[in-house]
Amino acid sequence: MVEEEKIFNKNILIAVDRSDNARRAVSYVGQLLGGLPGFNVTLLHVVPEPEEDYFSTAIQEEEWLTQYRQKIDVMLEDSRQFLIKKGFDPKNVAVRSTLRYCPSMAECILSERNKTEYSTIVVGRHGLSRSEEFLFGSISSKIVNNARNCTVWVVE
Amino acid sequence: MINRPPQENLRQMASRWLPPHQVPQRFRIHTDTSDFFRVEYDDVVILKGRPYLIRHNAKEQGFGLEDEVKFWVKRAIDLENGSLKIMKLVFYERFMSRIGDIEFECFRSPKKEARILELVSGHANFMHGYSIQDEKDNLIRILDFIKGKTLAAHVGDMKMDHEAYYYEQFQGIMDHFFECIQAIRFLHESGERHGDIRRDHILIDQESGHYRWIDFDFNYRHRENIYGYDLFGLGNILVFLVGMGDLLLPDLKKEGHPSLSTLSEEDLNLVFNNSVVNLKKIYPYIHESINRVLMHFSRGANWFYENTVQLLDDLGEFKSHN
Repeated sequence: MVEEEKIFNKNILIAVDRSDNARRAVSYVGQLLGGLPGFNVTLLHVVPEPEEDYFSTAIQEEEWLTQYRQKIDVMLEDSRQFLIKKGFDPKNVAVRSTLRYCPSMAECILSERNKTEYSTIVVGRHGLSRSEEFLFGSISSKIVNNARNCTVWVVE
Repeated sequence: MINRPPQENLRQMASRWLPPHQVPQRFRIHTDTSDFFRVEYDDVVILKGRPYLIRHNAKEQGFGLEDEVKFWVKRAIDLENGSLKIMKLVFYERFMSRIGDIEFECFRSPKKEARILELVSGHANFMHGYSIQDEKDNLIRILDFIKGKTLAAHVGDMKMDHEAYYYEQFQGIMDHFFECIQAIRFLHESGERHGDIRRDHILIDQESGHYRWIDFDFNYRHRENIYGYDLFGLGNILVFLVGMGDLLLPDLKKEGHPSLSTLSEEDLNLVFNNSVVNLKKIYPYIHESINRVLMHFSRGANWFYENTVQLLDDLGEFKSHN
């Protein structure tokens, strides 16, 4: 019996933050796929909503969020422009940032992917020490272990 | 406007609980605790009409030789019933903490502590209390005072050699600590974390004999693993209990311990590189099942506990052998 061929789309979700490893992930996608037709990329940043009491007043929280979003918007646009320079059609490169409470950043990223139709997730590896990985966890490792029905690229 | 009880009423209430020479002639009254430095010994704090007589500031062992004074934590007497309380005032402290080479951001969270107090109300393995707002909406936590030693002091004060400790005391201590880990499991499964798991944050209640967690107001900005730091804390306490204290490489070198040459990097604490975790190499009579658990907190571990259920399962194996 011939197994039905699984259909993968050309939609790529790159999970980014302001780190060097996220920049490498964007660079990898740009170098590998830039100029090739049919690929759609979304650059996703999940803003981790700070816990209660991280700020002593609502005004402080608003100010923090505003400044944070400004920095993230710059990062997202820079990354978008990088991909366009590498040959992506501007209408095929989108940016998205979403504020969420994230006990697990990896699960937040995966749940964003699950809402949409991306066959591929790209994430940079943090290069954590073993003790950091134990204490604070690895987003890329958790995405690899928990992703379903998609492909994960981890960029060193 | 909060009604302040007359001075005479406060004197009468205080004289029910204090010897006459300790009753102040006049009380300074606070209904706004925003500046906790102004709340001093012999002052009275009125919260929703209930007066509390303030006593000493709490102290906690810091990293140096001297205890650190916590000016936002006061001992207090509930003047209505004479019970001894710990009153935690609001302090929005934010700072970078470091363990080993790792830096992470921490902050104090009155709301977190208040939530957990409600969650663990009546639970034998946690401190008890409630939260209440003052007239400026500062969220104050009123905790029942627990009379008893810390687990750190209890083990630290034992005057016996390790072998005697292991065969005569350790099993009983482990039974209690197992309950403490189950209590942390309860917290995690309720979506909370302790945030500051240390051997001096377990008090041994003199009245009930239960081991009780204290101090849940510490919080930190986690990255991926929300419970990793709690698990690390549990592992450190476990190593401390099995070893009847910390076994540090410099100390072993100083005494020229015969097992020193058998130790490698893989036998050391994952974060604190001078602390021995592979205790079976020092104390060969330690059961293999408990040593295996300790090794999951070592540099040689190829797998780390992700949650308390896994830790409890492995400790269950040790319990079944004893």
